Amino acid sequence: MLRPFKLHEPTSVDDAVSLLGRFGEEAKVYCGGTELLLAMKEGLLRYNHLVNIKTIPGLDEVGYDQGSGMLSIGATVTHTALEHSPQIQSHFPMIAEAEGNVANVRVRNVGTIGGNLCFSEPHSDPGAFLLLFDTQVEIQGPGGQRTIPLAELTLGPFETCLEDDEVLTRILVPQFPQGMTGAYLKFGYHARPTLGVGVSVRVEPTTSDGEHIERAVVTEVRVAVGSAGPKAVRVAEAEQLLMGKTVAELLPGSNGGESSNMNEASRLAGRAADAMDDIHGSGEYKEHMIGVFLKRAFAKAVNTRQPTVQSPLS
Amino acid sequence: MTTTVGKPVPRIDALDKVTGRAAYVGDLEIPGMVHGLILRSPWPHARVLSIDSTEAERLPGVLGVLTRDHLEGIDAYFGSVVRDRPIVAMDKVRYQGEPVAAVAARDLATAQEALELIRVEYEELPLVSEMEEALVPGSPALHETNLCAEQHYDWGDVEEGFAQSDRVFEDTFTFPMVYHYALEPHTSIGHYTNQGITVWSTAQHPFLVRSDLARMFGFSLHQVRIIVPYLGGGFGSKSYTKMEPLAVALSKVAGRPVRLALSVEEAFKTVRRHAARLTVKTGVKLDGTFVARECLIYLDTGAYADNGPLVAGRAGERIAGPYRWPSLKVSSSAVYTNSTPAGSFRSIGAPQAAWASESQVDIIAHDLGIDPLEIRIKNMVSRGEEVRRGQRPLEGDPATGLRLAAEAVGWDDEAAEESGRAVSSALVTGKGLGCNLSGVGSSPTSTALVRMHVDGTLTVLVGTTELGQGSRSAMAQVASEELTVPMDSVDVISSDTSIVPYDRSTGSSRSTTLMGLAVQDGAIEVKDQLLELAALHFESPVEELSIEEGQVLCRGESIGFGELIQEEFGGVAGELMGRGYVTPRSHGGRLAQSPVFWEVGISAAEVELDVETGAIRIPHYVSVADVGKAINPQQCEGQDEGAAMQGLGHTLFEEMLYEDGQLLNPNLIDYKVPTFAELPDKLETILIENGDGPGPFGSKGLGEGGIVAAGPAVANAIFRATGVRIKELPLTPERVWRALRRARGQD
Repeated sequence: MLRPFKLHEPTSVDDAVSLLGRFGEEAKVYCGGTELLLAMKEGLLRYNHLVNIKTIPGLDEVGYDQGSGMLSIGATVTHTALEHSPQIQSHFPMIAEAEGNVANVRVRNVGTIGGNLCFSEPHSDPGAFLLLFDTQVEIQGPGGQRTIPLAELTLGPFETCLEDDEVLTRILVPQFPQGMTGAYLKFGYHARPTLGVGVSVRVEPTTSDGEHIERAVVTEVRVAVGSAGPKAVRVAEAEQLLMGKTVAELLPGSNGGESSNMNEASRLAGRAADAMDDIHGSGEYKEHMIGVFLKRAFAKAVNTRQPTVQSPLS
Repeated sequence: MTTTVGKPVPRIDALDKVTGRAAYVGDLEIPGMVHGLILRSPWPHARVLSIDSTEAERLPGVLGVLTRDHLEGIDAYFGSVVRDRPIVAMDKVRYQGEPVAAVAARDLATAQEALELIRVEYEELPLVSEMEEALVPGSPALHETNLCAEQHYDWGDVEEGFAQSDRVFEDTFTFPMVYHYALEPHTSIGHYTNQGITVWSTAQHPFLVRSDLARMFGFSLHQVRIIVPYLGGGFGSKSYTKMEPLAVALSKVAGRPVRLALSVEEAFKTVRRHAARLTVKTGVKLDGTFVARECLIYLDTGAYADNGPLVAGRAGERIAGPYRWPSLKVSSSAVYTNSTPAGSFRSIGAPQAAWASESQVDIIAHDLGIDPLEIRIKNMVSRGEEVRRGQRPLEGDPATGLRLAAEAVGWDDEAAEESGRAVSSALVTGKGLGCNLSGVGSSPTSTALVRMHVDGTLTVLVGTTELGQGSRSAMAQVASEELTVPMDSVDVISSDTSIVPYDRSTGSSRSTTLMGLAVQDGAIEVKDQLLELAALHFESPVEELSIEEGQVLCRGESIGFGELIQEEFGGVAGELMGRGYVTPRSHGGRLAQSPVFWEVGISAAEVELDVETGAIRIPHYVSVADVGKAINPQQCEGQDEGAAMQGLGHTLFEEMLYEDGQLLNPNLIDYKVPTFAELPDKLETILIENGDGPGPFGSKGLGEGGIVAAGPAVANAIFRATGVRIKELPLTPERVWRALRRARGQD
């Protein structure tokens, strides 16, 4: 049962920060509440004060700078708004698609990107797919503003580096390098994802099509895994194994073959996820599945640039 | 002339339900009502050393606290078969979540605060999580013994049967603990006074709850009133008595009506389906003829018996399937463990039994090189044949139903191939069948009252609980049909034990058949009275009269029903009453033999399996229900589809998980129930209508059959796709992946 609490509705980030400073551990930012209120109803968390930042003007805006290719997402933008944002749909189609698959429609309509990242529920998508970009987050506290990489925000399950009196205000997502495309795939049958794997890749020559894509060489690749372990991570060791290889070398499945590099990258990605045994399944199964989904996400990312090519694994 | 029966007329509660107007127990406000909350045991097995509720009682706004020390004058124990469940814990607690105390307060926040002021001292006891350990001599005992009940079915000599068999198969299967997940958790408002008890409750069997409360609180039946408004899904979870005694006892200490509305988590800790371990040994001839079967069934009934002994009995009966057995020997036991009590759940014991029986039929068919469809048809009982010794012969024709299901799913297309087809490097497909037969209807004990008002409209009074199955509409259709009045001239009042006449229960697919007959009888009695009045009016013998569209006709003249009533009573006044009695002796005694009828459960599934992940998708699923006559075809399909989806739930992912006696997933985030996303691409229900049912217009019930054979149909399809046999449910991706890996020798 939800216990009584006082709801504060500041109209500026500064006011929110000072309220948080005043109440300390008794207060928490409310930014959608799809996770927070559930936990409070269950008695797992208790706060006497909630500071609603959804009422702060400007935090619900999405901006895209054509020149720098930088996407700026306010903390209180809902998943639904991200899914339907014309700027995101045209410049970050992978984010629009992934946001459209977050949780369910009720959560997407109320839940926000900032709330999602700050709650740090490990079984969650945005924290993983945003790692495919060099995403930064802006944080405001009593001493002013700081900007840190998204990878440094989450420390572990339900734990961030935010101080009690700090507010995450904005997420900054730079465009992929020219020619890079991405895919994020998730798996699970529970309400929350069991695992998620994101891959973004750039191959050269960029103009190749049809069967020529098989001969294209991977010149840049990013791998991110989430949900399976305590927090989402980039897997640099897996990326290195895929670099410089041709698509045909990495995806020989159509000829019944296996790629030792892809298999090794899959294994490393599985290990890097630090998968836990839980109600979703064993860590062993999740490690295996991350490998399967790394191949599939890689194939999807490659094919996203060349929709005419059907990958054997798609 | 047919007016409504056999047509998909809109259900009479549709508008109220889709607009949110329909009132459920949780919507009711009773004058003076206060709110109750339950303190539940954190331990799965512990002695309750002391309970101190004095601080809670002193908290302003608290009207009463109920503990074992507040039960004076109350017989605290109840249970549909064994009275082993106390209102609140007495000497010890037997499962995590068992009610230990309860508080009534002016609001929920105060009640919550008071709960935290109750001091309970426990002494932990060793716990029993598994049935196997529960039955080992010397293991911790929940009750006097951990064996709750043991049932036996024997005919013929199985040892001789096995000796005569060419091949003997023995396999062991397990079935998970699952929860009903009715949308509406259990909710009761209890109001105790010295003159009697009124309870508004989510009860499928209000008259049985009335009996229990009368006994426990020392009243006679006329002093106990159970009112059941709309019910948000039952599936057996609200059968018999559940939270009502606690609500009434709490009202007694509080001196006020007390509302007790459980959360989903609490509902998980109220009742569940039995987990099972089933060993089936079957002897067959090389041509596929079944010769003998011996079964050993263990059902995990949790901390209290609830309906466990009956479930064990039914599982034992149902594991024979729809087949001829020259000899059969079954032992079926319910075993206590420290977990949520298990009771009735849609087709009790049958999904567990069919899971084992129907999986093994495919194992046998494969081994003998016989088509799974043909081996079933070859051994299947036919119409008129005795199904179980001493029981009613089969009135239906399951072989035809099974052929229809197989045909619908394209069985013949696949028959040429022994195993499944590879769709791509990772996807394979296969088709599977499953079927079972359940004796249903409970007992033929239902009564109804049909009132015709002076304007010719009807009020039908029944004790059937409208729990979403559409009983109000079906009863209205029967009355409307029999008296030739339109549907909108009929209202159905259900489930107020002080107003509507007696009904045994709403369950076991019985209501349309048995209550339907009672309503039909009541309508016929009204019709007979109308004809008597019309005979006076027309001065004509009854034989020359007929009725049509609310009129009595005689030699080209007509008179409305209402006018006839007015003629009798004088002025715009009066009414006619028709009674319907369904008893073992009524209807020439034709309902007396058990079961009332046989309900088939027939499923055919096409399954697509991702061999890299173990994930299953179901492109096509077919369920067949033999309904005799569909009173409302749309509602029949809805019931059957719902049952099929619930069956796919326990087949694919539903499972209550315990660790050290603690339930890990009592919520819908961690306990997966099917959603629209899990609907098969094509979900089909086929209704068989041969007019051979014992109910009105040749109907017989449905609603349970569709859940029964989902598990084996899917697992049999996986086997045909991969050659891998899985004997545990649910078929989660990881379980399937592990089975595939084991088969490849990589584990």
